Formats: sequence, C-alpha cells, structure tokens
Amino acid sequence: MKNNLFLGLFVFTILLNSCSTDGTADIIINDNSITNNGDGGNNGAQSIFLSGTYNEDLTLDANNNYKVNGSLIMAAGTTLTIPAGITVEALAAGSDVYIAISQGAKIMASGTADNPIVFTSDASTPQAGDWGGLILLGRAPINSVSGTATSTSEIASLPYGGTDAADNSGVIRYMRIEYSGGAADGQSENNGFSFYGVGNGTTVEYIQAYEGKDDGVEFFGGTVNVNYISVINAQDDSIDWTEGYSGTITNAYVKHGAIHDKGVEADGFNTDIGNNSNPLFFSKPTINNLTIIGLGSASGSEAVRLRAGTQGIFNNFIIEGFAEGFDLDGDLGDSPTGAGVLSNDLQVTGITFTDVTLKIKNDTGETFTETDFISGDGDGTGTDYATWGANWTIGNN
Amino acid sequence: MLRRFNLQLTSSLHSVGFFVTRNYTKQMRRITLLFLICITTLSYAQNAGSIKGKLIDKEYNNEPLAFANILIKGTTTGTTSDIDGLYAFNDLQPGEYTLIFSFVGYETQEIITTVTSGSTIEVNVTMIASTAALNQIVITTTTKRESEVALLLDQKKAVEIKQSIGAEELARKGVNDAAGAVAKISGVSKQEGSGNVYVRGLGDRYLNTTLNGLSLPSNNINKKNIDLNLFASDIIQNVSISKTYTSKFYGDFSAGNIDISSKEYKGNGFFNVFTGSGINTRAVGKNFVRSEGTGYFGYYGRYKRNPFAVILSHGIDPVNVGAPINISYGASAGKSFDFKNGSRLSLFVTASFKNNYEYRNGRQTDFTTVFKKVFPETEVFEYSTTTTAMANINFRLDDVSKFKFNSLFISNSSDQVGYYGTNGQGQNRDAILNTDEGFYQMNVQFNQDVILVNQLIGTHKITENIKLDWAIGYNKVFSDEPDRKRISLENYQYALDNNPSTNPTFYNNIPFDNQRYFQKIEDDEFNSRINLAYTISDALKLNFGFNGRSKKRDFENIRYGYDIVDTGFQITDVNNFNSIFNVENLAINSNNGIYRTFVFNAINPPQIGQYNRPGLLENSYQGNLDVYAGYTNVQFNISEKLLIVPGVRVESYKQRIDYNVINLPNDDPGFRETQSTFFLPSLNVKYTLKENQNLRFSASKTVSVPEFKEMAPYVYEGVTERIGGNPDLLNNPSFSKIYNIDVKYEWFISKSELFSIGGFGKQINDPINLVIANDATGTQRYFRTGDKATILGVELELRKQLIANEDEDSELSAGFNATYMHTKQDLKSSSGLYSSTLNRTDKLQGASPLIINADINYSPTFGTFKPVINLVYSYFSDRISALGSGQLGNIIEKSVSVLDLILKSEINEHLEISFSAKNILDPSIKRVRENTSFGDVILSEYNRGMDLSLQFKYKF
Repeated sequence: MKNNLFLGLFVFTILLNSCSTDGTADIIINDNSITNNGDGGNNGAQSIFLSGTYNEDLTLDANNNYKVNGSLIMAAGTTLTIPAGITVEALAAGSDVYIAISQGAKIMASGTADNPIVFTSDASTPQAGDWGGLILLGRAPINSVSGTATSTSEIASLPYGGTDAADNSGVIRYMRIEYSGGAADGQSENNGFSFYGVGNGTTVEYIQAYEGKDDGVEFFGGTVNVNYISVINAQDDSIDWTEGYSGTITNAYVKHGAIHDKGVEADGFNTDIGNNSNPLFFSKPTINNLTIIGLGSASGSEAVRLRAGTQGIFNNFIIEGFAEGFDLDGDLGDSPTGAGVLSNDLQVTGITFTDVTLKIKNDTGETFTETDFISGDGDGTGTDYATWGANWTIGNN
Repeated sequence: MLRRFNLQLTSSLHSVGFFVTRNYTKQMRRITLLFLICITTLSYAQNAGSIKGKLIDKEYNNEPLAFANILIKGTTTGTTSDIDGLYAFNDLQPGEYTLIFSFVGYETQEIITTVTSGSTIEVNVTMIASTAALNQIVITTTTKRESEVALLLDQKKAVEIKQSIGAEELARKGVNDAAGAVAKISGVSKQEGSGNVYVRGLGDRYLNTTLNGLSLPSNNINKKNIDLNLFASDIIQNVSISKTYTSKFYGDFSAGNIDISSKEYKGNGFFNVFTGSGINTRAVGKNFVRSEGTGYFGYYGRYKRNPFAVILSHGIDPVNVGAPINISYGASAGKSFDFKNGSRLSLFVTASFKNNYEYRNGRQTDFTTVFKKVFPETEVFEYSTTTTAMANINFRLDDVSKFKFNSLFISNSSDQVGYYGTNGQGQNRDAILNTDEGFYQMNVQFNQDVILVNQLIGTHKITENIKLDWAIGYNKVFSDEPDRKRISLENYQYALDNNPSTNPTFYNNIPFDNQRYFQKIEDDEFNSRINLAYTISDALKLNFGFNGRSKKRDFENIRYGYDIVDTGFQITDVNNFNSIFNVENLAINSNNGIYRTFVFNAINPPQIGQYNRPGLLENSYQGNLDVYAGYTNVQFNISEKLLIVPGVRVESYKQRIDYNVINLPNDDPGFRETQSTFFLPSLNVKYTLKENQNLRFSASKTVSVPEFKEMAPYVYEGVTERIGGNPDLLNNPSFSKIYNIDVKYEWFISKSELFSIGGFGKQINDPINLVIANDATGTQRYFRTGDKATILGVELELRKQLIANEDEDSELSAGFNATYMHTKQDLKSSSGLYSSTLNRTDKLQGASPLIINADINYSPTFGTFKPVINLVYSYFSDRISALGSGQLGNIIEKSVSVLDLILKSEINEHLEISFSAKNILDPSIKRVRENTSFGDVILSEYNRGMDLSLQFKYKF
C-alpha cells in the first residue's frame, strides 16, 4: 500500500548537458505512478477489446469486460446492442478512441435507472478528455448541404445528413458517458454525445455527459428528440446545436464545473461552410424545462449564446448564477438572429433568472426589447432533476 | 560576378580589327568557282539569291560558333549564327554585298561577295580571337546563352513557343533570382512576397520546373514547384519558359515548363567577390525579433533532439536581434585546364549568403459567413536567409564527347514572428471569456528548406548526323518546420492598460490552442533523360528519347499542446512566456502547476498517456511517383519556310500515397494508388513568313496529375486557415486530360527588337480546385470540381529600341508584354471521403485575367562611364485564390502593381557599384472574401515596404 503514496506522482530530472551545442537537456522520466501492470485495477478478468469497423452486428454481454481501444465504427446495416447495467471502459488515449454509429446503423442500448449503461475511461485517475465519446450519424436534414448531399463529421470523417427526418438510429436510454471529449484540434472536437443528422425515429432519453473535455451534447442538424439530458462539468459548452437542428429537448439539466464555456451555445448553421439549405432553414429546436446552474454572477460567465441566425423556443427555463443570461449574436445578412426574435422564431416563455447580472446582451444588429424576446419573466420553474436524475446520474453536488 | 564578367567582355570590343584566315582564302576560290557556274546557268533569271554559310570557332577546336552577328554593310539587315554556327540571308536582290562577321572578343571580318539571281552563295568563315582580347584571359563563349540577343535567336529558332531570359538581361534588369527572372517574361506573373509564379495566369499546380532539363523537387510541402527565389542569379545561365508542349517534356504539362540552366564556365580563369547591404523601409528602425534556437545563418540546431526534450528545455519567447540591416556577400571562381590530348576541364564554383528583414503591419480576419476571428492589427517580423553553393565541372573529352557534373546546394530559411491582435481589439467568436475584444495570438515559426541536387550530363556527337544527350540526377530535399510556437490569449486589452490587477489569461478551449508543432519532410528523387537526335537530311531530323523519374516523399509531424490547468492564471508580462512554460510550472502531480503537455498519440496509454509524456507521431505519409516515358518527334522541313514537328509520347504513370493520419474512418485503407499509361500526341508548326517573321501553331494533349500534398488527408492548421488533402483525387479519374492549342505571330524587328502576338486555348478535364469541404470544420481541401475548365487568351509582346548609340547598341529601350484571358469552369458537387457542394459556373482558380510587364532601360555613355538605369513594372489583376463552396464567396487575391528601379555602374575595371529600390509603389497586398452579406471582407492586408540596397562587386 505504500506504493499508493506515489500513485500519480512522477519526477522529471533534467540533466543540463553542457556538451550539447543546442542546449537541449536530456529528459529522464522517473515514473513512480505505475503501481501495477494490470488493466487499471479492475477485477482482473480478461478484457475484450473493441475497435475497428463492424460490418455485422455486435452484441455486448453483461458478463464480459469490454474495453474500447480505438475507433469502433458500426457500418451501415449493423446494430450495436448493449445490455443494461454494463460499464464499458475506453482506453485513455484521447480522441481516437470513440464509438460511431454510421448512417444506416443502429445502437440498441436500453439501460434502466437502476442499471444504467456507463462508458468511462480506463485510467486509474480518469480525467476529462481521456477518450472521444459516442457519435451517432443519421440521414435527417442538415442545412450545411442541400438535398441528398452529405457532410463529413468532425471526428472520424463519416458522412451525415440527408432527407429522412424520421430516420432511426436506434434506442439510447439511461446512458452515462464520462471523461470523454478529446479533441483532434480546434475544429475537430469530440463531445459526450454527438448527434450528426440524427432523425426523430431514434429514441434518446435519460442521458448524462459527465466531466467532458468538450461539449456535453452536440447536435449537428437533424430532428432527433431527446428527453432528460444531464450535463455536469462539461469543460466546453454543455448543450450545443448547429446546422439546422430542429428536434425537441424536454427536461435538461446543466451544471457548470470550474472549467466551462457556455451552458447553451447555439448556431443557426455551420458558419464554416454556410447555410446551403434550399429552401433555407435555420436551427430551431424546442426546449422544454431547462435548468442551467452556473458558478455565480461574479464568475463572469454566460448561460446561453445564440448565434448565426439560430431560432428556437425555450419554455420553462431557469438560469442561475451567471454574469449574462442570453447573449445574442448575429447580423442583418446571413446570420439573422435578431430577425428571429422579431418574427417570434426565437422566443423564451417562462423563465426565472437567479443571480444573473445582465439578462440579455443584443449584438444582432436588430433592435428589440426584452419583452420582444422574453415573456413570463419570473415564471420559470426549470426541470425536476431531483426526481428524474435520481440513481443513474452522478456528480450533482 | 556575372554582370562584371560581361562588362569585361564588352570592353574588349574596343580592340577589333580585320583578319582573314588562310582558310578563308581557300573558301574564296570555291565561292568564285561556284559563282562562275551559277552565272553561266542562271544569268538571265531575275530571281532573288541568297547567302548562307557556317562560322567556325578557331579558339574552341573549330567547333561551330553560335550567336555571332552577321550584318550586311550599309543596311540594317543582319542575322545571327545558330547553335550549329549556321546563318543565312534569303531574298537578296542580285548584286555585291559586304558581310560583316563579328563576335564579342573576336576579330571582326568583312567579306565581299556577289549574289546572282536564284543562286545560293556559301560563305564559311573561321573566327579568331582578337589579339587584344587574347591578352585578357577571358575569351570564352560563356556569354552565348546569357545575352538577350542570343536568347532572342534561340526563341526564333525554337521549335516550340519558348521564351528565355539570360544572365545578361537579369543583371541589367536588376533581377536577383529566377522568380524575378521569369516574371519578366510575357504572360508570367509572380505572387508578391513569395516565389509563386503564374504562367498565363495559371499557378503552381499547372507548372513544372526543371534544372538543366532534369526535374527539380519542391522545397515546400504546399508547392509543386521549387521556390524560384532560391535560385540566385549568380547560379543561373538562363531561365526559359516553354508554353507549348513537345514530346520531350513530361506529360504533366499544363501552362508551361520552367527550365533553369545552371551557370557554367568555360574560360581560362576568374575570381570575384561581392558584398552588399540594404534596408527595408518598413523594417528599418524596428526592434527586430526572431525565434529562439535558430541562427543568423538560418539554421536550427535541434533537429536531432526529441521534440519533447526541446519543449521542456527551451522557452517560446522570441529573441531580440537588433537592427534590421540586410547583408549579402559571395564569391565565385572559375578555372580551366587543357590536356595534351586536347581535352579541356573547366571548373566553376560559387557560394553566397544573403539575408533579408521584412516587417509587415496589417490586419487579418477569418471570415466565412461570419467573423470567426478578427485581428484589426497584426505585426509580423520575418527574417529570411538564403545560402547557395554550386560547383560545376565541365569536361570536354574530345570533339565527340562532353560531360558536365553539376552540384547545387541551397538552404533557405524563413523565421517569422507574428503577433495578432496587438491593439487588444482582436475577436474570436468562440472565445470563452470575452467575444468582443482582447483575443490575441502569437505565432513563432521557423522554416528551413535544404535542397541538394546532383546531376551528371553528357553529350556525344557520335557522327556528323547522330547526337546523343543524356543526363541523370539525384535530388534530396529536407523541408522542416521545427518547433513552431503558437500562443492564444484572451483579454489582451488588459496587457495594454496600466492596471496591474487586470491581466490577460490563456485561451484554452482545447489543449492545442497553445501549442508547439514539429514538421519534417524528406524527398528523394532519381531522374534521367536520354535523347538521340538523328539528322537524316537538312529536311528531316528525328529525335528519340526516354525519361524516367522516381520520387518519394516522407512526411511526419507531431504537436504538443500546453493544456492550461490553472485556467485563471494571470499573465503579467506578455513578453515573458518563458517564465510560465518552464519545468517548474509543469503540473506533474494532479493539478499542482500551471500547465501540462499534451500529445495526440500517446505511446502506451493509459500507462504512458497523453499528458506530460513524449508521444508518437501525429500524422505521417509517404508519397511515391514513378513516371517512365518514351517519345519521338520528327523535325520535318517541308520547305525552306515550313517546319513541322509532329511528336508522340507514351508515358507510364504510377502514383501511390500511404498515410497514417488522425481523424479518418477506421475502415479507410490508408492508401490510394493509381496506374495509367498516357498516349500524348503533339504538333508544332513554324512557318517562316519572312526572314525575320514566324508564324507558329501548336496543338497537344497533355495531362495534370495530383500532387502529394493534394492527396494527403492531413490538415495543416494556419493561424486563420485550415488546408488538407483528399486521397480520392487518385480515384478514377486520377488525372486531368488537357487539350492545348496555340498560335503565335512573331516579328524579330532587329537583333534586339521583337513584336509578337499570340492566342491560346486550353481545355482541362476534371480540374482540381481548392474549395471549402462540406465538413463540420470548414477545412479547405482539393476536389475535382467539374467536368472541364476552358481557357482562352491572347498575349502580346513588344521590345523596342528607342535610341541607339553609334555602335548600334541600345541607349534607350523599352519592353512591354501583356496577357489577357478568359477562363470558365462548370462546377459540380463531389463526394467520397470528403464532399463539396458546388453548382455554378466560375473562373478558374489562380488565373488572373490580365497580366502586364513593362520595362525601360537607359544606358547612356559619358566617356568611359556607362551607367545603366532600369525601371521595371509588373501588374496582375484580381484572381481567385480559393473557390467558395455552398454559400461562401470566393477568396480573391487582389491585383498588385510592382515598380522597381535599378542603377548600376562600373567605376573602374575592377569595381562595380549597383543600387536598387524595389517595390517603390509599396502597394497593399490584400486578400478578400467576396460576395458576403458584408460585401467584400478583407481577410488579410499588409504592405511589404520598399527594399533599398547597395552592392559592390570586385573582380580580381
């Protein structure tokens, strides 16, 4: 047990070798942090490694130990079935370790409140960004392309988008993803759950992203409806949408940790390649019962950033502990965020601000009043996380 | 040195005399006999006659003397001997003519002859060096391919449409390097501030560069052609651009082939040195900075070190280097040795170093449909160096065989320190703390390219009618970007206020927002050419040849991110990041420290993980290109006036790319390959309208194949741009077919005057363009964007002597050339590993509709004092730099005008002084994205400043 004192501790010794003309020191790493060579202190049972592209169905067995040790891609036509109660480890090797459900493939993962499905890092001291996360790709409309064209995902370079709003990528129920979100670079980021063009034939309810390096849940277009989202300690945005996402989110709970960006960051379209939809449309989800808890108004953070012409209907909202409630960015051209407010396509109905310094910052170029955007200030009650988040979620202290 | 050398030759012209060799007297008898025969048979014919003959160089083993001048006394009719020493005057009315034969450094000879109608008089002359010149040991034929007159002749005689510029003109126009050289040729423009050359408005991917006819590798991952700035004029004999295809060129030919002939020396010996100094008007007075760890001479001392050791041992702050004064110096020498058996060995060596300081103050923006990053104020300090060395051995074994060994070394470095958002008003829409102001980035980047070229070239005149040329070459390139440092801050405005309690903090959205980056490329290429020329008769000449090249590229890179653990860390001194990124602040134990290092590919996770450990390479690829070809062409003189050259080339093309790149689907095979055989016919026709006027026609089929960088799917992240390759370019079709047609009329008004006008058309099937891909990251990638692109254009060239002195040399002359073209391509969407959305008709990427070059040369004589003054102007109109896809507008490189002034004078026979003022207009260099909802948005804008320099050359 003495060794455990050194757990996570190692020492750099720098020998300044004066002989070398370039002044670069030899680096000797004395690493005392490795106390055993097992698979991170598990029960010792042999792990079954999962990676590569599966061209046939893959069904996990709750009696086995699994470790995702690379990119696990389910090809079109296949189904990944995951039983309730299983914990699948992912190699703590960064963004190249992820699970992707391609267009035309399905995930069948039905956990329960008592037996959730958990994906986590295999590191003995796990940390955010240890691995990538879960990626679903569907054939529902996105506005970065038009018609039957597809776009390519940030991670894995897989196609997504199409014309089938009712596309079905399977079932996810009671699933927690921990320590995910490793990024390849500033533009290619994993999240906890990434929904790329996922259609509303898919069932997604009771999901939690915990201690993610990047966004908690991100929607790249699509129509998927999600009920009961919990995002705790996401280091980037907790809920993010772009590329014309138009599903409904019902009951979402967001809580910021020390490192964080926005509670919600929303774009009407992908500004890197433009809004190429025809007829033109912008992101316009409906969010019912949303609670965002920040670190207090003194922390200088903002709860919701609405950009690039996004639209959306927020019903029953609580924002607590932010310097800014809403920050609206846009212009009078391709990013008509302000115009959405004026046309009632971007509206908040029933909201309670607690410890929020500035409710709305308008950088859209359009002029509107607070009541043009918000009705029912003080009426929001948010979501009942204590009830629906009980048992299967963690980290809400 | 080369300039001085020419002047010396010119001065020897003052001592010319008359000399008739014994050979000549014999010749005279034969001519008289011929004359008599003619007169008896054709005395009543009133047809015009002609004079032709051959010039022999007595000083050079009685080889043919090319580029000598032959003038009919009392007229302006003159000609020049060709490469075989041959000359001719046609369409002469019967009568008596006095021919004046002259050549620099040789005795001028006057010969009287009589032409009768319908006859051809043959006058062969052996030229001998003037005695005065013989005392000076510099009598050579070295100037042959350097003089403008000679090259104009070369152009006149050439089978294809070809234009050249030689060392003499380069020197006169004050051109420092090959990039500047080609920009003086019609239809050619240069991208300001880079070595990028456009021929008829078509850029890098449509050009090839060769050195002595052997392919040259690129020094830059992003280029196909070598940076022509690397070829200092000291090592150039001439630079030529062939705009039409003949079968001897590689089939990958679109706009043109640039061939650099390396300088060679055949004289008896010389030695000279030069030194110079200068300033850039915008850099002067700045407290200049460059990367830590690099040297004054542009070398980096840590290539052998593991990058992880480098980042822990060395900081990131740039270092001060004092006053930015440009320096250049160099020396060259030549010597020849004669052997008793008549062999001659000539050596030429040259070495030089120059550096350059440039300061660019401007602005930069990343705009797609919104302002993603805005830097209203940017400052970039660039220190660059060029070191060149070349050795050249010529061995003339005997009358039959000549060998040449050429070895070239170039090291080119660029050390850039860029500060973006220096006024505290930078914006990043993805900033975490403040999206309205205070975003700031520092990018400290050093690039070094080292090129080694070795060539062995042989020519054999096996018989009078059979000539064999061959060459083999081996090229090696090291292109490195070691230890690029990039820092990103928020709330930089707090660094500018005087309030010590408010400070900037790190922007740490992902661990690579603050990073160090190492990139390495190594190229190896073997290539060869062989040509057998068989002259069956005056009317028929055959060429058979073979080309082969095998090229390999290895690429690798790794990044280390600085993951900021103490995210609120207050940066109290933005000029001292070394106090932050050192070993003491490394967060080794949990989160105790400021930062951790982060690598993408851990060695053995989770035991040896991504944080605080060395890592494995992030991206690597290997490219292979193998091309083997056989060709033949026939030079068929159907009549005196009509030359047609049909040719055909059969080329085997094989290309493969293997990559191990992050962020691909795991079922991607990790390679693409293709193999094809091209059958490429070509036809060149020259019709001699008059002695000094040609009409040319050319038609050919060629191809364009993708480059390694276009295929490798890894993404290079610039400060405001991301560019990646697309391996699907090797899927069917794996190349573009190109159909070319050219017509040209040229009139060689006098020995140094020219007028020409030409038209050209091209159709490029399945063209490749750089476009923003449909992906969630907005990366620019290469796609085959349509079924075809068409190009139609005209070009015009005029060189005119305005005032001539008594020796008929120009005192005031002017040159002008312009190209106008119309391009069109039908764009379509494409899909594959990456996809793009395009559905419109647009211009071709990289093509400027209008290109203009002009120059004025004034060289008065004041006794022995002969200054030369040149004013050189160039212009290109707006061109598409990258096609916008979907809703995005195109990125346009805005038009630029450049004006240079060069003054030069010989002070005495040893010393020469030159002065130049370059980029006098100092235009702003601008890129915009057009057709946005904000109008044209400026993506980058800066001014380069004027370069003033003074140079002294001394010859011993």
